[in-house]
Amino acid sequence: MDRARAAVDALERLVGGLGTAVLALGTLVWVLGVAAASLVGVGLPFVHSAARAVRASAGRERARLSRWGPEIIEPEPLLPGLRAVRDPAVWRELAWVAVHGTWGMVLGILGVTLPLYAVQDTTFPLWYRVVPPGEGPGIVFWQVYGLSGALLVALYGLFWLAVCLLAHPALARAQAWPGRRLLAPPAGTDLSLRVAQLTATRAAALDAHAAELRRIERSLHDGAQNRLVAVTVLLGAARRQLARDPAGAGELLERAQSAAEQALAELRGVVKTILPPVLDGRGLDGALKALTADCAVPCKLEVDLPHRCAASVEATAYFVVAEALTNITKHSRATSAKVTVTLGTRHTGAVSEAGPHRGGTNTQGDDDRGRRDKAKADDSSEARRNEADARGGGGARRNEAGVGGGGGGVRRDEAGVGGGGSGARRGDSAANSGGGPPGRGAGANGVASDGSGSLLIVVEDDGQGGADESHGSGITGIRRRVEAYDGSLSLTSPAGGPTTMRVELPCGS
Amino acid sequence: MRIVIAEDDPLLREGLALLLRAEGLDVVATTDSPEPFLEAVEKHQPDVAIVDVRMPPTHTDEGIVAAVEARRRRPGLAVLVLSAYVEQAFATDLLAGGAAKLGYLLKERVGRVEEFLVALHRVADGGTAIDPEVVGLLLARQRPESSLARLSPRERDVLALMAEGLGNTAIAEKLVVTEGAVHKHIRSIFAKLDLPPDDRADRRVTAVLRYLEAAR
Repeated sequence: MDRARAAVDALERLVGGLGTAVLALGTLVWVLGVAAASLVGVGLPFVHSAARAVRASAGRERARLSRWGPEIIEPEPLLPGLRAVRDPAVWRELAWVAVHGTWGMVLGILGVTLPLYAVQDTTFPLWYRVVPPGEGPGIVFWQVYGLSGALLVALYGLFWLAVCLLAHPALARAQAWPGRRLLAPPAGTDLSLRVAQLTATRAAALDAHAAELRRIERSLHDGAQNRLVAVTVLLGAARRQLARDPAGAGELLERAQSAAEQALAELRGVVKTILPPVLDGRGLDGALKALTADCAVPCKLEVDLPHRCAASVEATAYFVVAEALTNITKHSRATSAKVTVTLGTRHTGAVSEAGPHRGGTNTQGDDDRGRRDKAKADDSSEARRNEADARGGGGARRNEAGVGGGGGGVRRDEAGVGGGGSGARRGDSAANSGGGPPGRGAGANGVASDGSGSLLIVVEDDGQGGADESHGSGITGIRRRVEAYDGSLSLTSPAGGPTTMRVELPCGS
Repeated sequence: MRIVIAEDDPLLREGLALLLRAEGLDVVATTDSPEPFLEAVEKHQPDVAIVDVRMPPTHTDEGIVAAVEARRRRPGLAVLVLSAYVEQAFATDLLAGGAAKLGYLLKERVGRVEEFLVALHRVADGGTAIDPEVVGLLLARQRPESSLARLSPRERDVLALMAEGLGNTAIAEKLVVTEGAVHKHIRSIFAKLDLPPDDRADRRVTAVLRYLEAAR
């Protein structure tokens, strides 16, 4: 019985392995294609994406193997551009792709077809009459006729069944072996860098938490609490007035009441920004529907979310859209707006087929690279960038900002500087008080984006453009909120419009 | 009594001014941040300054810093600090320069107008007004090795009320004892804190300070 269970388990693993083998084969074809194209030079721009494809399918296998054996730790994030091929881990992964895409595939097919044949043969006596004599399964090349022959085939099937029971676990192990050998970090690998990264991520998460608490504390203190103090002061004054001049007391009571109403309104506002109640009931989709329907500017909504995200991420997304729509209504003079919310994967994803998916990720990568260059040129300092924006404000006021992170593949190498470096940078940005935390963004993103998805929010309008963060619009608030969750925001708003705001939030799912 | 107010919340600022003016007090200036406040103190030479703790730009302890600075520039200025919550560090910062002519109250005490006015006058007249909440916090943090540990619970009650700024009569009323009993407790407190009987008023302030410092 145990043996049967082990065999079924092994079958399951072989099927899973067959899946990653198909992936690996596809990747292998793509890599060979790129390699061939690179020989004549035209393939070079695709080398990084090929490395990413290798990494992605290896990642699948790691996750698969980790589920039923010792966990296999992910290697360092890829280096950007062509430097990716310098990483020995990539070459080991490539070797795995070659072995698993061929040998692993054969084992997988064998593992799946053996039981099928065994079942077919064993049950042959039940259905041998249905097929014309000589056309059913035989024993090797010997065709059988009649019931006795069919029973013989059944015996033969039982033999295969026994082979399955005995051999499948070994087959599954054999299939997994290259992965366990090639995808695990080589013995003696220094994991301290990895630990430093994870520490940085955790610190960033705690920072985000603290920033959020501070925001809530501030809004409670500045809003509702002050209003309520005013209520007590006005009530106290009214009580004193009552003795002297009851008519005057009425006016004070009136003011006290309106202060109390303001306190309530502000409490509602704060509660809404913590976790909008509508999110709980209707999900992000429904909440955004309500939001866009209420917008004074006609607003189209496209939401494509296969599953729900973490509550905090949904709340942030809701807040971002709400603020953006308020901005549009107040300042843009737009006649129409559009909100698109999709779930994107930053790292895993379509690998073998060079379809639109790949094109998409590629642009993303280029975009990130552009941002990084820009950030580098500006010394990644938010303050300085803002200055620069303010100075150059006369011309086309194109405000593009995306320092807060979001650059999946590109930023991660900067995270690799280790705990000390990113820690110091985090400290800097904290001292900036409210400035973007580039260091933290980098440190966290590098790891957070590993195989995890991100929520992409795009808000567009056809208004007059010229939206500028330095002019105290709600964009600063949105940026703070987004950066607290380690996301990124970019705003394109040339004078004359249109305005596009892109927000990417790691959604940890 | 000439008063300058520094409070960044407009509603509260105007409400406070309204209340004080209705009581016949002379609010000579209302300001919303530390710099204008210090200028107003120079210009109007008020008797009392009422200062909010949280003010721009960082909304942390600007009010405390401004109050300390105002007292440095104009010694003898009575300062009543209003705070939305009790923070022991603020209290000790303030009291570092002595407890005379100093008040530290929670904002909502303003609503109890009679008591607030009493506290305001007491501070203006050279006394102290420390919020019971602050005193309670200090009492809770008191270390066992301090000289205050020698006080009996009753004596500690009396000292706490002294720290709030109450006079003997008020203390007797609060504790529902005779004034004579309060006198006795206070003499005992002075003895236990090793305060020699030279100037009585000073001893009171010293005892309170000792009490507040013990909790640092």
